[in-house]
Amino acid sequence: MTLNEKIKHILIEDLNLEDITVEEIGDEEPLFGDGLGLDSLDAVEMAVIVQKHFGVEIKDMEEGRPALQSVQSLADFITDKQGK
Amino acid sequence: MTAVTDKIAISGIGCVGAFGCGTQDYVAALKRGYVDALPQEKNHPDGTSFLPALLADTAHLTDYVPRRALRRIDHYARMALLGGYLALADVGLSSDQCEKLGVIVASGYGALTTTFNFLDSVLDDGDSCTSPTSFSNSVHNVAAAYLSMQLQAFGPSLTVSQFELSVCSALHTAVCWLEQGRVDKVLIGGVDEYNPVVNDYCRQRFSDHDVSIGNIDPFNFNSCSTIAGEGAAFLLLTKGDKWCGGESEQACHAPYAYVGALSSGNFSRLDCKDYSPQVGQRGSDLMIIGADGQCDSGNLYSQLQFDRPTLSCSPCYGALPVGQAFDLVAAALMLREQSMFAVNRYQTGTNGNNVNFVPKIDTITSLKIAPTGQFGQIELCAGVDRDA
Repeated sequence: MTLNEKIKHILIEDLNLEDITVEEIGDEEPLFGDGLGLDSLDAVEMAVIVQKHFGVEIKDMEEGRPALQSVQSLADFITDKQGK
Repeated sequence: MTAVTDKIAISGIGCVGAFGCGTQDYVAALKRGYVDALPQEKNHPDGTSFLPALLADTAHLTDYVPRRALRRIDHYARMALLGGYLALADVGLSSDQCEKLGVIVASGYGALTTTFNFLDSVLDDGDSCTSPTSFSNSVHNVAAAYLSMQLQAFGPSLTVSQFELSVCSALHTAVCWLEQGRVDKVLIGGVDEYNPVVNDYCRQRFSDHDVSIGNIDPFNFNSCSTIAGEGAAFLLLTKGDKWCGGESEQACHAPYAYVGALSSGNFSRLDCKDYSPQVGQRGSDLMIIGADGQCDSGNLYSQLQFDRPTLSCSPCYGALPVGQAFDLVAAALMLREQSMFAVNRYQTGTNGNNVNFVPKIDTITSLKIAPTGQFGQIELCAGVDRDA
């Protein structure tokens, strides 16, 4: 399973996105707003999810905003942090 | 008992439990006398074993709330939402007509499963990796909050937890709100959820009976036959003879029943044991007791005089702290139908009262006794003019 697929699985499971499948989430699709439809509460939840599942901490909004744009941006962020 | 001075009407009813969803399913179960319990897996040090339980299905909630909007809402709060929506739908009330609606949720345990999951996550992953959603869903007042938010109810929103007396206490508050004019209507309900950890603990702590037992035997006071249940039962309370509103302004709803009197206290009080007219207020025609197969409270129920037809509805919803909410629903339905359709009745023998026939049901008393010896008693009156 690729990192992108793992992120999608975790998002569906931990955010209880019962009405969507892994295949329906595009790598570049915006996670918030008109894309996947997540909201600010999900952003807080996602910071915990990323730390819990990948051992990577999102320290503040400045770091989190670009990282949480899409599955791809989040995967890049995780890969970057884990490589350091 | 303390009489309720204003006319507080039960205008709408909603319930969900192991019997199904809505009053029709509940009435069908009451007429049958029981609902089959299902075995639930529990993790035991010696291996996997099973305990019976009476569980509720909230699938119908998507009739009222979009699936996506439910994703942060756990099973406990979903039961509350479904019970509340059903009660409002019963009178055709939509969520944009709830401005002066008060919400009171009674619960003995609160959101048990989410609370345990949250605590487990703190232990397993540390407090920095615990889910903020799990935390917010683990607080006791989460169900009342979701109800108020979803219904856009701007009246007070309260959660009452007094274990077996939660429902009686919550009803006290609801009546006060209506009498004071703080709200036009109150959505009051009891909610409790099944949890295997608590069920297993209660089995070991309070009961030693065979786990393969079929149904609760409420009037066998010397035997433990309790089966854990879960669900939500809600009443929409309004003030006055009838309530006009809902989707059609022309639609007026005759109430199911009125709240006649309330009392709570210690079981040692004489007026709790003796319902004869000389002691308390006028005697009720019918009594529904909250006996649910627990030995401790069963011993107290056995001390009642049973001088009138006495029913139990617990085999249809199971043992749960807020069982009295389901008893009130049953009482309201029987008062409207003028029919004593619940089949679990105390048998007084050949020299006892005729327990199978009541010519006219004017009042029904619901009595819940906690194993600790406290009781909550609520009298409902038929939905006709009490002064007539």
